Amino acid sequence: MDNSLYRLVYYSRNQIGDDGAAFSSNVDEILAKSRVNNLRDEITGALLFNAGCFAQVLEGPLERVEAAFERIQQDERHGEVSLLAVDPISHRYFPNWAMGFIGTSEAHAKRFADVGSSSGFDPSRLSGEQIHTLLRDLAIEEEAA
Amino acid sequence: MNAVTSILHTLEPHPFQLLNTEKILELLPRPVLVVGSDGLVVYANKASEVSFGAFPGGAVHALFTGLGTDLPDTSCAPVSVTSIHSGESFDAAFVSFDDGQYLVDLRPASQNQGIALKTDVDELTGLAKRNALLSHLSSALSNGSKSSSIAVHCLDLDRFKMVNDTLGHATGDLLLKKVADRLKAACRKSDVVARLGGDEFVILQHDVDDLAAAEKLASRIVDLVGRTYVLNGHTINIGASVGVAFGADALQPDDLLRNGDLALYEAKKAGRGRYRMFESGMDALLLGRREMEIDLRRALALKQFKLNYQPFLDVSTKRVDGFEALLRWEHPVKGNIPPLSFISLAEENGLIVKIGEWVLRTACLEAMSWPNDMIVAVNVSPLQFKADTLLETVASALRHSGLPAHRLEIEITEGALLDDTDNVIQTLNAMRALGVRISMDDFGTGYSSLSYLQKFPFNKLKIDRSFVACDDADSEAILRSIASLGTSLGMSITAEGVETAEQLARIRGERCTHVQGYLTGRPMGTDQIPAFLAQHIL
Ligand SMILES: Cc1cc2nc3c(=O)[nH]c(=O)nc-3n(C[C@H](O)[C@H](O)[C@H](O)COP(=O)(O)O)c2cc1C
Repeated sequence: MDNSLYRLVYYSRNQIGDDGAAFSSNVDEILAKSRVNNLRDEITGALLFNAGCFAQVLEGPLERVEAAFERIQQDERHGEVSLLAVDPISHRYFPNWAMGFIGTSEAHAKRFADVGSSSGFDPSRLSGEQIHTLLRDLAIEEEAA
Repeated sequence: MNAVTSILHTLEPHPFQLLNTEKILELLPRPVLVVGSDGLVVYANKASEVSFGAFPGGAVHALFTGLGTDLPDTSCAPVSVTSIHSGESFDAAFVSFDDGQYLVDLRPASQNQGIALKTDVDELTGLAKRNALLSHLSSALSNGSKSSSIAVHCLDLDRFKMVNDTLGHATGDLLLKKVADRLKAACRKSDVVARLGGDEFVILQHDVDDLAAAEKLASRIVDLVGRTYVLNGHTINIGASVGVAFGADALQPDDLLRNGDLALYEAKKAGRGRYRMFESGMDALLLGRREMEIDLRRALALKQFKLNYQPFLDVSTKRVDGFEALLRWEHPVKGNIPPLSFISLAEENGLIVKIGEWVLRTACLEAMSWPNDMIVAVNVSPLQFKADTLLETVASALRHSGLPAHRLEIEITEGALLDDTDNVIQTLNAMRALGVRISMDDFGTGYSSLSYLQKFPFNKLKIDRSFVACDDADSEAILRSIASLGTSLGMSITAEGVETAEQLARIRGERCTHVQGYLTGRPMGTDQIPAFLAQHIL
């Protein structure tokens, strides 16, 4: 089996609905699960939510990343999953994050405004590389804060 | 000794040797293979070609699922295998020759139930197989009041064959496993998910309270199975078409499955990647199509096809440049059947290749009798490109008729360029090298990707009639920009469907170079062409 290091990037539409409480409990659940599973699977990466979308970078051994992505694909909490990239990488960009979450803090909101339309961050306008870079920059800031 | 080897043995010592053994094997209605010790097919009889797509030199492991990596020991019981090609199940018995080769005798699985023990579980996916599904179905149907609350979902994968062809059967098998997982994830524990072979799945849904419950599952399947897969670093996109039938509509498992299949057929016909509920009219529809198909198969032989020709004119010289060949089917009972109602059927069953060939040959022959250097334009279906014989057919039609190549114009639609674009363009270039003109038909109705125009230098763009018929600002703007784009790329522009003098004036203003339509000439038989040309002025 192929265990070389790969990076997978996708974005999707949130289908949880805009009920605030349901949303945050769902996201909490996703994150908790992701951290446990990803630690086990040697997967690192980052997850972003904004304006009804998820964007996620997963990096790790190809086979594990594929298995995690297959579970994620089947998740009813989101839909219209657009796969932007599956590439081999030489090293991890998120070495310390089993799954970082980049949420809705004010600083981030401002940041998204730069890349998105007036309605907010719109990942459909970005390439896998751009999302990857964006998530990584945000992650570095988060760690520095 | 099994039947095949006993035939071989009884024949060999026969003094007259009237029949040769290979002939017998060719005629034998069940598949027989000879496989070398390296796992490559040495000999494949006709039946194995049909059931497995087997050919000498191919790997035996690529033919069926269910075979281990090593060929089974001859002493062991027959192995259950499933044809990757047809999805049929067989019991494979291996008989070894002295030199390490094997004879593989394949018995259709249904013929010898009870002889070999067969499990009800599909080895590859772990799903139920046909027999298990049928027994679940009959118990659900015999359950009186409850039969009204079951539904079956018949499912086919769209583009699965392409995955198998391009990424190999091993990846195809992996994909089938993932599809099976997704189907299980979409269903409840009490539902039965079965794989009938190949990429054919059926789900038996229990406790279906209403139509909405079945629709919900069907749409979930279409959504879930259609989501992108990642396999060995490859991104794979397939789709699912689903046909749904209700227990209340059927008494027997077979009827229920047939209804589901009919609905599936409709789903695929409606464009795939969707589901359809069974409706009682669907059998009649299919019956009608079957009848039409039978008639269509005979139509060529019975000479029921005829070509009519519609003139196209150069707007500036006001002269007729040529005629487009239009196919007519004169059905002895149903009268004239317009191409719109039979071409899609002919494309579905592949007859279009034969019909298209007839059209090409006939058009070239008939054009020889026309005065001057009139061009004859012939439509070619995307499927004719797939058949790979198009170039040959064009060349031979020219040769046999004696028509100079520059008098033939091939019209293609954007559909032809959608798949396998590079190959199609290669064929187009080869036709162009013969001297044939190439034009793009119905431009503006399909994808109208401008990149197609860049990929191949068409001689002509034909703008769809809908842009000519509407005189709103949008249509006019589209007409104008297509025309100016085309002319700047050195292409002629034909406006189709011109029926009135106002339309003619308008398209003239929009830089169209050619015109075709009722105004400048209705379709006519080849014998009317000289008279038409003699009296024609724009
Ligand atoms: C947007 C989104 C991102 C997710 N990311 C991950 C992830 O990185 N790792 C993971 O294991 N599960 C992730 N999940 C959850 C999976 O869909 C699934 O629920 C989970 O992997 C199931 O784990 P289990 O089989 O251990 O219960 C995500 C779900 C969503 C909706």
